[in-house]
Amino acid sequence: MTLRASPTNRPQGIDLEALADGCCDRLAASYASRGMIASPTPVPLIEVQHEAGGVVTLWVQVPPEMVSDYNPGQYFMCWNPYDATGGMSRPNYHSEKPYSVGDVKIDRSGVDEGIAADTGGEGRALLGFTVKDLGRQSGELTRMKAGDWLAIRGPFGTSFPRMSSGDRLLLVSGGIGSTPMHMAARDGRRKLGDNLKIDAIMGFRNEAECHFISRMEALCDSLTITTDDGSSGTPGFPTGPLPNLLSGVGEGDREEGGSGRTVLLTCGPEPMMKAVLQMAVDAGVECYAAMERYLPCSVAMCGLCMVGDKLTCVDGPVMEGGWLLQQDDFGLSH
Amino acid sequence: MADLGVDIPGLSMSNPLMLASGIQGGSAAALHRVSASGAGGLVSKSIGPIPREMYPGPVCVEAMDSVILNAMGLPNPGADKFAEVVKGEEFAKPMLVSIFGGDAEGYVEVAEKMANAGASCLELNLSCPHAKPGSRALIIGQQPELIREVVAAVKGAVDIPVYAKLSPNTTNIVVEAEAALSAGADGLALINTVSAIEVDPFAGRPVIGNLLCGMSGPAIRPIAQRKVAEISLAMRRGEIPEVPILGIGGITTGLDVARFIMLGASAVQIGSALVWGDVDVFAQIESELAEFMAQNGYPDLESMRGIALDSLEGLS
Repeated sequence: MTLRASPTNRPQGIDLEALADGCCDRLAASYASRGMIASPTPVPLIEVQHEAGGVVTLWVQVPPEMVSDYNPGQYFMCWNPYDATGGMSRPNYHSEKPYSVGDVKIDRSGVDEGIAADTGGEGRALLGFTVKDLGRQSGELTRMKAGDWLAIRGPFGTSFPRMSSGDRLLLVSGGIGSTPMHMAARDGRRKLGDNLKIDAIMGFRNEAECHFISRMEALCDSLTITTDDGSSGTPGFPTGPLPNLLSGVGEGDREEGGSGRTVLLTCGPEPMMKAVLQMAVDAGVECYAAMERYLPCSVAMCGLCMVGDKLTCVDGPVMEGGWLLQQDDFGLSH
Repeated sequence: MADLGVDIPGLSMSNPLMLASGIQGGSAAALHRVSASGAGGLVSKSIGPIPREMYPGPVCVEAMDSVILNAMGLPNPGADKFAEVVKGEEFAKPMLVSIFGGDAEGYVEVAEKMANAGASCLELNLSCPHAKPGSRALIIGQQPELIREVVAAVKGAVDIPVYAKLSPNTTNIVVEAEAALSAGADGLALINTVSAIEVDPFAGRPVIGNLLCGMSGPAIRPIAQRKVAEISLAMRRGEIPEVPILGIGGITTGLDVARFIMLGASAVQIGSALVWGDVDVFAQIESELAEFMAQNGYPDLESMRGIALDSLEGLS
């Protein structure tokens, strides 16, 4: 059946920038009243950026306050509203899923810098959802094009702990778990500058899937890449180089006059996170994981995203490492 | 300190605040989580004869202020799996087990499994409006003959109290209440969600994955109160038997609970409020209700129950 509302079937051509501005006003009104986008709201994709094999960033325009208020760890529900049209005959087809923000930017290309200071011209705030083709729904998202609708709602959930001057952040990601780790690094560097030490390990299956490398190199004091097949960086899993980061935690920091607080954040497949958290706990390091579970509703209604006695949607996705390690249903492949 | 206790068939509760069906309560872990809150009682997700998956998303959204839309599609682990939960788990709060089936035989099959597992009472979901037009789930709650058939079949099969949950999507809800009560229902629960649809004008399609949905939240509370009032008045006039009513629809505060009790409800169920406050809302609402009752000189719920109906006596 032809859907007349599909952007490609509109009777007249669409000015993408004007439409994005209009949708952004709509987001701003919702955000002002609720502090979030509560209902799935379609926004046109400004740009689809290729990151690596099967990995893209979907850029959408949002009100600037949605970028400045965003706390790394929080997620948005993302839905291609034309993907689920046949959904009624496809039970168990999860057409709306949680995604972490992968990157944010301010596009100043339309701003006249000469008068910007006088007019308050700030450019356009863009939120990037970095998506890896891991199945039917995420695969559909990676094949979207500029001008297609992406319906978003959020942000939802808990975020990473706030860091202070003199602290040290250890980031360990596997695959597309790179996205909240990148945002944590970006946020920490933006707020604390050089007063935060950031060391990261990023694991990938192979060289073709490596992404965010240059962005993380620019943000981190050290970055170690691992690949399962050894095609790039250190062969093996991120747990391989982790002892190097965990050894001597606390000692060096105190010598430099820091607060001595070291926090490890991890995001990736659950078996990897379980191993990483166990190593951190054994080393006495405060640690948190950004969890992903089958998460249909995001608003504490359906009760299907339980980990132990907590709901991933509202008690998470950021959960404390020591607690996670005590849960029988944590650490399995999903 | 006001006494908030409730004692009705199958449910002896420390306060009248129950979790509404369909919210969180589909697994032992989720039910324990709610049990640990201030809720006085639990209602399970609606359990059917076989496991069912969730509809495609979005499945539940806050469409605007005070309006929650959902179409989850009665996801549940199935009667055999849930019977293990009923049998093996000790919950801190009493649980009303909600069930559904495609026809009377389906309801009876689930009812027997729950009763055999030790359930203390059942709620019959007669009215879930999520099903597509033409399917039987929609028809049962809107056709008095089918309500009578299902309730009579379940009452004939099990010895535990049975509450019939009614749909608001009918012309005169007293007709459906009469059908359930004439077939032997021990109590009524109302209302289920109001059938609805919402379109996103930019996308030019419904915002819910299932297209059709049910509406809940504070916006439907006056509708629910009206339905409770109509049934309570019919009971007062002796047109239908007097049984406990579980009031449901958009409750978010202690004052909302008082409103339903004053219209004749014995207890209430709370669902959408959890979108804004998760299970913490139960303790909050309980303390608001206790404070209101103490301020206004109501020692217990019974002293407050039905008093708003006095001013409706003249209506016929």
